[in-house]
Parts: sequence; C-alpha cells; structure tokens
Amino acid sequence: MEWVEITGRTVEEAMEAALDQLGVDNDDAEFEVLEEPKQGLFGRVRGQARVRARIRPTVPRPKVERRDRRRRNGGNKANQNPTDAPTSVPGPAVEAAAVNDTTDTTDTEGTPSSTGSRPRRRSGKGKPSEQGDSKVSDNDVDLEAHTAIVNEFLIGLVDAFGVDARVETELLDDETAEVRVDGTDLGVLVGPKGNTLNAIQELSRTVVHRRVPGTAAGRVRLDVAGYRQRRRDALERFTRSVADEVRASGVQKALEPMNPADRKVVHDTVNELDGVSTISEGEEPRRRVVIVPA
Amino acid sequence: MSDAVDDTEAEGASGFATAQAVLGYVVRQLVDDPDAVSIELDDRGRRPVLNVHVGPGDMGRVIGKRGRVAQSIRTVVRAAAARDGGDVEVEFLD
Repeated sequence: MEWVEITGRTVEEAMEAALDQLGVDNDDAEFEVLEEPKQGLFGRVRGQARVRARIRPTVPRPKVERRDRRRRNGGNKANQNPTDAPTSVPGPAVEAAAVNDTTDTTDTEGTPSSTGSRPRRRSGKGKPSEQGDSKVSDNDVDLEAHTAIVNEFLIGLVDAFGVDARVETELLDDETAEVRVDGTDLGVLVGPKGNTLNAIQELSRTVVHRRVPGTAAGRVRLDVAGYRQRRRDALERFTRSVADEVRASGVQKALEPMNPADRKVVHDTVNELDGVSTISEGEEPRRRVVIVPA
Repeated sequence: MSDAVDDTEAEGASGFATAQAVLGYVVRQLVDDPDAVSIELDDRGRRPVLNVHVGPGDMGRVIGKRGRVAQSIRTVVRAAAARDGGDVEVEFLD
C-alpha cells in the first residue's frame, strides 16, 4: 500500500496534499498523475486532478524504512547509498513530532523494544489469527495488572478530590480495558476539552510505568462521566459515513491526523465493516488513518 | 468536600485542602520515596503556590520527559484547587 492516491483541484494541489500525507519532501516522493482536471465551459474546472504518490523507494519501502531507521544507529543500512535523502529526512521530523506530541507516542521511535511489541494493525494479507494469538497471551497478564493499578490509582484520586464517584473497570477486548469513573458533579475531573481527564490519564500511565517498568502501557483507557464514550460515538458515526463513501466510490480517503486512541476507534470501526479496511500513514503527531477499499 | 463549602474567607482559609490532598496523593504515587514528600502552601505572593519537596533522585519522576508529568500534575491540582475556590501554582523543589 505504499502508493497513496489524492485528488485536488489542480495537479499541484493534489501533489501538495500527497506530500503532506506522506510526510516527506518533494525530493523524496515519486508522483504519477492519473488524471488532469478537465477544462469546462468558461474556463471553469470540471473534474479533479488525481495523482498517485509514494515515498521514493531508493532505500526501503515505507514500512521497511521505519524499521531501518531504528537500526540506523548501528550503521548497517544507512551507507548503502551516500546520497540517500530519505533516511535523513524523516529523522528531524520524528523528533519534532515527539516534542509536540501530547499522547502516548513516546515509544514510537525512542525505545526499540516497546516499538517492537506494539501490535501491528495491518489489515490485509498477513496472518491475523496467528499474530493475534501470540499478542493476546502476552498482553493478558500486563493488561490485567495495568488495569488494577489504574483502578487503584483512581480510587485514591477520587477520594483525594472528595468527589462522590465510583470507579469500575471493564475488559473491552483482549487488548483494551477501560476504567470508568461515574458519579455526580464530575466536571472537575474532565475539565475544558477534557484537559483534566487527559492529565489524569497521563498520570495513570506514569504510575503504571513506574510500578511495572518495561511493559508497554497505554491499553487501559480512562473515562469520566461518559465523556470519552460520547466522543467515541460521534467518531464512530463519522467513520462509518466515510467508509460508506469509500466503498461506494472505490477511492481511498485519508482522515485528518488523530491521536492514537482516536485512530484505534477508526480502525476498530472499519474492521467491522465489509468492503473497506484501514492503513495508517505519517508520523506523530500527524499520523492519520486512511480508509481504503478492501 | 465540606472544606470547599466552608466559605471561611475564600482560598486562604481553606488552605487549598483539596488541592493539597490531590497533590500529595499524586506525587506520592509517582516517587520512590513517598515519605520524603512534603507540601507547603506559600500564599504571600500574588498567587498562592504549593511548594512540593521530593526526595533526592525523585525529581525526574515528578517532572517527567519534557515536563509532561509535571504539567499533568499542575492541571489536575488546579482542577482540585477550583474546588477549594481558588487557583494555585505548583512548584517542584528538591
């Protein structure tokens, strides 16, 4: 899936958008114009420009490239081509991404071990069942332990706040648990735009990391007073409508960049639908999901 | 909870009981040496400050990478301070 297909009002616009989506410089991309916009009456543009673009595969294809970059410090791959722009370009971009990032992406590039254990959500030809199985058994123990820690942390926190709330946990699937705080007058724990909730989630994650060092954190979700649930519902509805469009038109569509949690909602929603699947592109914090015809 | 309702002279009198409880709780969850954690309220300035002292070596834990943990703590503590009817800064000291 290394090619992305983008439409725009003009070829230039489409190419621009494609670069955005690939997250690379002009020099590192390869284009194919599939369709030029047709000139209509009175010079009006009818139809759209359609281009296909991919990261120039002098070095690796995008997914392989990501692994290579990680090994690059070892210096085994980088030198095969001295004018090798692609390996150098993503580096700074990744660092910048990490600085801006507000969610749980610290493990994206920094620590090889946790990146390796992050579940790959590639639809398509892999062997999902096999991957799934090994993933589940590893994660089960972690997930339970993590959930218990978050649960305990929140009970204490709610108590310190002196709010009247109960904390409950639910295992949503093999890799996700949710800890919910419910009660009255919990706006204080959500905050404007969910700021306080996000901060509490961040602290929960930190506590998990501290208690069980070296494990991949982040699969325990946190919700207060149904705030995330409402947002999730809206995102699911939106995703379904885009998926319908993609299925009907046969043209893939990239969604705007989202944080990992929101991307997961999109992946999960699309996974349940026939005729469409998802891929992720770009680097944090501009990583985004593309819904593609299956 | 009742502290927040007691309007004995707004913030100063309540001493930010909720904010202090939340701050103490969170920080002690994060550090290696919870016994070394102490908090004092400094309300001499224009804006009250909660000074948090942590044991040697625990500073990194409460600050976190690029200050992320510290920022999260501040956000949560200020939410708690709102229940006390005021606003506080949080400073970390070792």
